[in-house]
Amino acid sequence: MSTVLTPFRVRLLGLAVLAVVAWLLPYRLNIYWISVADTALLFALLAIGMGLVMGIAGQVNLAQIAFFGVGAYATAILTTHDGYGFWVAALLAMVAAVLAGLVAGVPALRIQSHYLGIVTLGLAVAFVDWITNAPVTGGDSGISGIPTPPLFGIDLTSQYLYYYLELVVLALGLLFGLFVVRTPLGRRMRAMRDDALAAGAAGAEIGVLRMMAFGLASVYGGAAGVLYAGLIHYVAPETFSIADMFLLLAMVIIGGRQSLAGCVIGAVGLTVAQQELTNLAAYAQLGYGVVVVAVVVFAPAGLVGIPARLRRRRVRSVAALEAFQPSMLGGAEGRAEASAAAVAVPKGRRFPPWLQAGRAPRRLPSRRGGDSRRGSKPAERSEALARRKTQRGLGAEGRGAVPGVLLSVSGLVMRFRGVTALDDVSLEVRAGEILGVVGPNGSGKTTLFNVISGLYRPSGGSVRFAGRSIAGARSYRISQLGIARTFQHLRLFRHLTVLDNVLVSMDRTRSWWSWRYICWPFGVWRYDHALRSRALALLRGFGLAGFASALPAELPYGIQRRLEIARALASSPRLLLLDEPAAGLNGDEQRQLAGIVRAIRDSGVTVMIIEHNMGLVMSLCERVVVLDSGAVIASGEPGEVARDPAVLEAYLGKSALPGLPVPEASP
Amino acid sequence: MTDQTLAVENLAVRYGGVTAVRSVSFTVAPGQSVGLIGANGAGKTSTLRALMGLVPRAGGTVRFGSRDLGRVAARNMVRLGIGYVPEGRHVFAGLPVEKNLLLGAYASGWGPECREALASVYELFPVLAQMRGRLAGALSGGQQQMLAIGRALMARPVLLLLDEPSMGLSPKLVEVILGALQRLRGEGLSLLLVEQNAMLTFEVTSESIVLENGEVAMTGTSAALRADPRIRRIYLGL
Amino acid sequence: MQSFFQTLVSGLSFGAVYALVALGFSLVYRTMGLVNFAHGAVLMIGAYVASTFYLSARLPFVAAVPAAMAVTSAVGLVIERVLRPLENRDFDLMLIGTIGAGTVLEAVAILIWSSSGRGVPSPVRTAPLIVGGVRIGTYNLVVIGVVAVAMAALTLFLQHTKRGAAMQAVAMDHEAATAVGIHVGRSNAIAFAIGAGLAALAGSLASPMLYVSPTMGDSLGIQGFAAAILGGFGSIPGAIVGGLGIGVIGSFAAQWFQGYSDLVTFVVFTVLVMIKPTGIFGERTVSRA
Repeated sequence: MSTVLTPFRVRLLGLAVLAVVAWLLPYRLNIYWISVADTALLFALLAIGMGLVMGIAGQVNLAQIAFFGVGAYATAILTTHDGYGFWVAALLAMVAAVLAGLVAGVPALRIQSHYLGIVTLGLAVAFVDWITNAPVTGGDSGISGIPTPPLFGIDLTSQYLYYYLELVVLALGLLFGLFVVRTPLGRRMRAMRDDALAAGAAGAEIGVLRMMAFGLASVYGGAAGVLYAGLIHYVAPETFSIADMFLLLAMVIIGGRQSLAGCVIGAVGLTVAQQELTNLAAYAQLGYGVVVVAVVVFAPAGLVGIPARLRRRRVRSVAALEAFQPSMLGGAEGRAEASAAAVAVPKGRRFPPWLQAGRAPRRLPSRRGGDSRRGSKPAERSEALARRKTQRGLGAEGRGAVPGVLLSVSGLVMRFRGVTALDDVSLEVRAGEILGVVGPNGSGKTTLFNVISGLYRPSGGSVRFAGRSIAGARSYRISQLGIARTFQHLRLFRHLTVLDNVLVSMDRTRSWWSWRYICWPFGVWRYDHALRSRALALLRGFGLAGFASALPAELPYGIQRRLEIARALASSPRLLLLDEPAAGLNGDEQRQLAGIVRAIRDSGVTVMIIEHNMGLVMSLCERVVVLDSGAVIASGEPGEVARDPAVLEAYLGKSALPGLPVPEASP
Repeated sequence: MTDQTLAVENLAVRYGGVTAVRSVSFTVAPGQSVGLIGANGAGKTSTLRALMGLVPRAGGTVRFGSRDLGRVAARNMVRLGIGYVPEGRHVFAGLPVEKNLLLGAYASGWGPECREALASVYELFPVLAQMRGRLAGALSGGQQQMLAIGRALMARPVLLLLDEPSMGLSPKLVEVILGALQRLRGEGLSLLLVEQNAMLTFEVTSESIVLENGEVAMTGTSAALRADPRIRRIYLGL
Repeated sequence: MQSFFQTLVSGLSFGAVYALVALGFSLVYRTMGLVNFAHGAVLMIGAYVASTFYLSARLPFVAAVPAAMAVTSAVGLVIERVLRPLENRDFDLMLIGTIGAGTVLEAVAILIWSSSGRGVPSPVRTAPLIVGGVRIGTYNLVVIGVVAVAMAALTLFLQHTKRGAAMQAVAMDHEAATAVGIHVGRSNAIAFAIGAGLAALAGSLASPMLYVSPTMGDSLGIQGFAAAILGGFGSIPGAIVGGLGIGVIGSFAAQWFQGYSDLVTFVVFTVLVMIKPTGIFGERTVSRA
């Protein structure tokens, strides 16, 4: 095992080589090229910020150049006008940049894509407008005389030495960026990028994530700005123009926006190319414009994405679907204990009141499963946290809960532009049952699910989950309360691996948990690690362990369907909503599905299932509710319901003109 | 007129990794009206969309008369005399009713023949004449359905493909649509009607094909099928 | 009071140009779901081509402008063809693709005409009108007039011709449009060409009012884009209202805030868009699970 060259080790080796090269580079460069290198590193830092907000979080950000400018100008103003020391000014400049980032992020709460593009571009234009006109910014002539940053007596007026400062900052920035991407926060952002709706249903707080993404971008932008000011000692409007913004965008696109390494490569590559073609600036611009168009049309993942594409084309999925193992899901206890074992909380911390279980603590058995070989001490200490999380799954109830009834829908009305999709729907879902929701096309079944899971706000009526009213609550909130769902038309996160898809859902932390990224990253890493073990265990249970690193598009349809169910279950829900889980499955797969659903129910999860396949419904569901044109027309045991004349009529149709003879067959 | 029989042989349709239609074969002779029924997800709509070329075919052949429809682009179906009324109506919501109808005759031109066609559509659906200046998006579901059918009729098709025209309509409106379809039958129009509402289909068509899981489960005359208890099993899993 | 009207008139004539730009954006967006960030660059090409015909080839302005529109429409067709694989699929990539196209056009302009830019003398040399003490430049009136005619022509085309109705149909439901026999790809190409032509017209008309340079499209493009969004993407009356609105706001902002006019316009615009993202006349879109 120790001498095998795994892909990870190859990458590590490559990284080490790169680091050595980067460290030794200045010795080989003349004064002209070192200044190019200094510029390249700054753009690389900016590009990482762009990559995080655009490639990872999927937010269009054409204001990055403005964050760069805020950092640079704030440093300049505070040092020259107000006489602050460089590093103090730098700190304040970073704060200013982050504020600018948050301001840019506010529109992202309501608008996306091209709208967001134009607003952020407008911000950049407004910024240029301001620095060109405001007296404090020196207008067109800018501000000069910015002092060199003092650093333990090192003479940073030398561009060679400044290179090392930038290199260290870049390395830290890249490492932090990669850390964010591969841990829960980055994963949630990627899920949001791929499918914000499904991410919300899996517990991601979309608005906060968007703001965080812009905040991250502005941190990198501001840092680059500060470094720029300290390097050049002079800031002027022409550095922060829209043309440079588009150049930065080109770097990120050509390199590959979804990969931070790609962003760096794009930045360095394009900076060098620009320098080489200084005398042919227009040709350079023509060149990178053409390359951007070519990349967008032919290789959207950028240069970095090409080897991956070739690799995936050659490798055919060799993994096989294994049998579903209901025992891995365990009973309710098994799940509680699994979460107790897995969620590691740092040693020695006293739990704040919110972490204490609200009820008398349950004594959990000390039996350890295969996924908890990690030390038992942190695991025991985290029992309180796990208990709190699973108490919700095992009986924590709101006021007004009726014993035995988990979900109660009463008088629900949903209207869209004059069409009444749900008309006074009332039903009850009893804890531990499998309830079928059936009805002809267009009867409102998916609308019902959408209201329950928080995608729609109902026009009237109420929905109570374990006694607590949830009508109109946001979908991430409902996910946190314990309702998970699948979608009629599969909504897997297509750029995330199978394992990542499950991890997104399994991550039950609230958004503000992310402060740990700055103050206690080790805690993040440990949590992520524990989460992975649990996720792999879940995949094993579902027979999907062999596909853990595959992308959804590479999987056969039936397996994708199974993955979506696994993902929903990963959030430890009390109620699982399955929207047409059998659509497109063949007979065998449908039988397996039935087994899976039954096992899920046996493990303590109540299931509500929309299905058209009546055979499946008959064999699987204990109770059935029939909808037609938005109203409940029958409910009860499948056998009775199928014989109900109203139901027959709804499905087979009513004779419009019963008296008329049937048309003659053609000769 | 040359023999304009629609002949479908071993049609298969696959998309998104799902096999929506495994193998379906049937014919629609000139003047014949055929129903395509079955539970949801059985592959009815996919069959129709594959016929129209809106969805690629994974196998099988489709001929209309002597023409292989596999070589015909979707936009040229109307020029061959095949009209299409999509599921969910799909009227041009921002345009007035009359403009919607005129667009139905896009392929054949807006000359005197078009004016005649318009007149006959207004005669078939008088309510459309009343609403001719209203935006299509403001119409009720039933009125939009009439508009969608009228639009398809403007090109004077010989074969009309309809996808779930009764969906979401009140019984009263379904009656109106039914009456219109029967009238069109009487005028010699061939119909291929996809419906979930089996009973309605039996009243408009002379033969029906029952799809289940992408394959033909039963065929027969509407009279025979109507009385057949197996229909119930296919729809309700009993 | 006089200065108020002065500012208003100036704002209206710029607003007319923005309205034209907004119209071009809206048309392309309506028919193709494509937000064209290259629109500003296309406008700039139109301005350069028109000024070349007018100054170098000594064509009369009335002939130079249509000639420029024709050339620019051809450029628009090329862009559409190249970006066609992305249509109605990935919005973000499409956006970036058009930014790339815009960059290319700007580079081409620098290569052909150099980056120094040029001034274009007003083609109308009559004295300004004085109404109630307010100076109204004759050219401003010409601009407003031409734009009004262009709007009327476009409306006529869309409402009363078969091709125009087809374009609108494609925008609303491209599958139903296919079913009635419309060639969606061709329709989109024509829409793009018309959009480019409108941009060229806007650029040509604006060239005596502004300095023609390779970057003139940036500011005008953004203003026009903002106007389109404000009025409601995809709406012709919206483009007019939005354009005039942005023009007037910008004019007063320049008057009261001097150099900060762009900033003010941007702030006003952002606040309005946040309140009603689909604009004054725009339609809501419903998302489905």
